[in-house]
Amino acid sequence: MFHWLEKNPFFFAVGVFVTIAFAGLIEILPNFAEASRPVAGLRPYTVLELAGKEVYKKDNCIACHSQLIRPFKAETDRYGQYSLSGEYAYDRPFLWGSKRTGPDLHRVGNYRTTDWHENHMWDPQSVVPGSIMPAYKHQFKNIADLETAYAEAVTDKNVFHVPYGDDIQPGKKAWEAYKPKVLAEAKKIAADMKNQDVKDAVAAGKVPEIVALIAYLNSLGSSRYEAKK
Amino acid sequence: MNAFILKALGFAAILIVATLVVVKQMNIDLSDPINALTILGAVAIATLAFGVAAKYMSQMKTDKAEGELAEDNWDGIGEYKNELPAGWAYSFMGLLIWALWYWQFGYPVNAFSQIGQWNEEVKAYNKKFEEAHKTTDKATLKEMGESIFLVQCAPCHGTTGDGLSGKAQDFGARMTKAQILYTIKNGQHQLNYPMGAMPPGMASGKDAEEIAAWIAGGMKGKQPAAFATCAGCHGADGKGNNGMAPNLANYDLTLVQHVLANGKKGAIGRMPSFKTRMTPVQEKALAEYIQSLSE
Repeated sequence: MFHWLEKNPFFFAVGVFVTIAFAGLIEILPNFAEASRPVAGLRPYTVLELAGKEVYKKDNCIACHSQLIRPFKAETDRYGQYSLSGEYAYDRPFLWGSKRTGPDLHRVGNYRTTDWHENHMWDPQSVVPGSIMPAYKHQFKNIADLETAYAEAVTDKNVFHVPYGDDIQPGKKAWEAYKPKVLAEAKKIAADMKNQDVKDAVAAGKVPEIVALIAYLNSLGSSRYEAKK
Repeated sequence: MNAFILKALGFAAILIVATLVVVKQMNIDLSDPINALTILGAVAIATLAFGVAAKYMSQMKTDKAEGELAEDNWDGIGEYKNELPAGWAYSFMGLLIWALWYWQFGYPVNAFSQIGQWNEEVKAYNKKFEEAHKTTDKATLKEMGESIFLVQCAPCHGTTGDGLSGKAQDFGARMTKAQILYTIKNGQHQLNYPMGAMPPGMASGKDAEEIAAWIAGGMKGKQPAAFATCAGCHGADGKGNNGMAPNLANYDLTLVQHVLANGKKGAIGRMPSFKTRMTPVQEKALAEYIQSLSE
């Protein structure tokens, strides 16, 4: 067989490729599978938080904010505990970012609150003097797309086996049945807010983008896996 | 063994003697095992170099091309069938064993971990920090507290600690009348003081108003009679019975520590817990600075 291979350079090259690729697979795949497992107790994003994640992507927060704290003392002092790969297990896609014009946000839920975000998104300079972040007042008016977020949760559950409950099922009917849970969560956030338009909208069953975004920002950090303690 | 090999070994012997003479002249201490090993290595190299070189040179002189030819033939160039030398085989097996050891234990990268390096760095820094600030005076603490405040607290409480017009606690005074009334009405159970939870409705109506006005006014003038209810836990002077209950008069270290550890949701809004974000010295510094804001 080897004599035959020596006389056929093409198949020899194929053989070399297969051998090296196989070695690569058994070296890389197990480590990768281990590291991408969710950290113990991690819960998936709620539908409201997923809607907020969409707002985060839509308004391009990732252009200025990272979500990855590296294990350097200077970073852990400022942003908290370094990030673990298992914390991103339910992030599709992850929003690590590559540019820090503003601070890292991976643990922002640990040290900022709903009312702070409300003030900050309305007028950043009112809480952070000298901040160059623009205001995001439109988020107080625009209504978040909860249905798409719900569809995202259904896909995550059915395709990627993200452990959502049995109440997340495909179809308009299932969504109608699920909607009150999302609204209840939004009401909790709105209760901590001061903007009357936002409160009125939530009471009327419409969730402004700011509420979803704040739910998402509050979920960033250790609260998603420490809540059970 | 032929004459050629003997000559080579003789030459090696001369080299070894020369080495020993040099060692003798340089007064090298041979009782030191490192030096002894080096000498031994030099002797071995000399012997092997001349011995092996002589063996092959004599072989080139005397050997004839003979033996059984292997089947393979490359444009007329053939190869004899040779037995695998035993030395090679043993070295190869030895290498296999060494490789197993190297993969499992010896691989140098196994000894490094980024997280381990971070742990060491933080531990060393914290130790140095505690050491350096064991006996720090008030002025240094206050200065340290201010820089901590600007990084950790200012985003909500403002760079001057004024609470950004009602967005967070104003450190210019201990509590406003509205805050005191809110706490009396709703109770307080979030700070985990040894005294335990404060039940809602400890005072009401005119009594509550009087207490709130007196505390918010800086506890000056005549103490209202209704304050006796509060004094049971907070002390007759309102200073919290040496850390048993929150201090109502000023921001002492115990109060700062309890709020940092537990966070709080009160009349203004929610403050998250800052539990693991500061060292004890930093908490002390922060308390020092916050106290200075209301003085």
